[in-house]
Amino acid sequence: MDNVIEISNLTKNYGKNRGVIDVSMNVKRGDIFGFIGPNGAGKSTTIRSMLGFLKYDSGSIKILGMDSVKDHVSILKEVGYMPSEAWFYGSMRVSEVIRYAADIRKKDCRAEAEKLCERLKVDVNKRIKELSYGNRKKVSIVCAMQHRPKLFIFDEPTGGLDPLIQKHFFDLITEYVEEGATCILSTHVLSEVNKYCRSAAIMREGRLTMLESPKIDDEEFLKYYEE
Amino acid sequence: MIIILKKELRLNIKAFLVWSIVVGGLGMACILLYSSMQGTMKDMADAFSNMGAFSDAFGMSTLSIATIEGYFATEVGVLHSLGGGMFAAILSIAILSKEEEGHTGEFLYSLPVSRNMVVAAKSLGVVILLVMFTALCGCLYALGFTFLGETIPVREFLIFLAGQLLLDLEIAGICLAISAISGKNRIGLGLGITLLLYMYDIIGRVVPSLKEYLFLGPYSYANASVIFSDGDISVGAYVMAACVLVAAVAFTFTYYDKRDLAS
Repeated sequence: MDNVIEISNLTKNYGKNRGVIDVSMNVKRGDIFGFIGPNGAGKSTTIRSMLGFLKYDSGSIKILGMDSVKDHVSILKEVGYMPSEAWFYGSMRVSEVIRYAADIRKKDCRAEAEKLCERLKVDVNKRIKELSYGNRKKVSIVCAMQHRPKLFIFDEPTGGLDPLIQKHFFDLITEYVEEGATCILSTHVLSEVNKYCRSAAIMREGRLTMLESPKIDDEEFLKYYEE
Repeated sequence: MIIILKKELRLNIKAFLVWSIVVGGLGMACILLYSSMQGTMKDMADAFSNMGAFSDAFGMSTLSIATIEGYFATEVGVLHSLGGGMFAAILSIAILSKEEEGHTGEFLYSLPVSRNMVVAAKSLGVVILLVMFTALCGCLYALGFTFLGETIPVREFLIFLAGQLLLDLEIAGICLAISAISGKNRIGLGLGITLLLYMYDIIGRVVPSLKEYLFLGPYSYANASVIFSDGDISVGAYVMAACVLVAAVAFTFTYYDKRDLAS
């Protein structure tokens, strides 16, 4: 099984503040990779460095065999990203946002988007500013999935989603992964890691440690969050 | 790029219409008022042209406001140059920073498009809106002249509009660079820059020792009183405008491509 993500010695600082220190990790094709750790540990910094939002100080990131700096746009064609805060242009309708994302990708995603909206119960006629946090998250899921990417990156995806939609969301991930996709799941929810992840890593104070198994109990999980 | 450009035009169409109708409409109303003020204008023009530095600052020492050209240059000229400058500043200073301020950057920049492409599309959107703003205002002013049955001084009128467009582009360029640095909307700063540049021109026309440095500010080549009185506009002012514009745009592309984006 080849690596979809290869991060070597990634270091990113925000001025004098610590971001991530010497992070190295590999994620294999077909994996659902759990990314856990306390707030401010560096999970989002790692993800944002992978996506090119942040310019890292040293190290290297390869995604799908491509360099994250040189092949930035090519990588994004194959990635579906859902940020922890799902914000869109308030005056646009849901259907317009979904089509906008597809148009920039130069792909006809109408069939897949329709399927996703039906399963996630997304009202495409509403304006973004009329949506609740949970409904904005659902739009974000559609935008991340409609082009059937090879790699999904979800940053705390289930916050604000009701239990039924959470189930549909994980069903969708499982289906896409069975078809050959890979998924990174940054989360604070232990049950998600235990139930869905095939491997996992913990981040604390900017450093990453791979876990032997994602099947962990409550006490062990909470230990990771202690000082 | 076209998709981002279309979205920007759509999101800014209301602001464009409001500013165009307000500035152009007020300008046209000003022109239409000329006929009702024409009778009393002669004495007023004499008084205004003999007010020393004040007359110099507003161009009334070289141009009589009793004529339609003079009236247009001193009244509508100031209105348009300030209104247009403010519109350019408001439009441009938020064009990049609004993605971070509104937290939409993570959506936009996770799509397969480079930052340079986003900057290019958004900058082009600003240029198109400013061209449309100038054209619409110009049409409304021309309509005002036509309603009055006055002949439009075509050459001066076109030079005036071209100068205004360049002024708006220069201010937009400066504000674009600020937008690239800042993760927050700085509309107050943009408006402040416009007013400061305008004041620089006014002060430069009053203070003799500053006159040779007038070319540094964009209001020097866009001054309607100078244009309509066939005064010479320094070539240096146009060169300066081109330099500022190119430097601001080059800085925007270079800096924005290298900086971290806020979540």
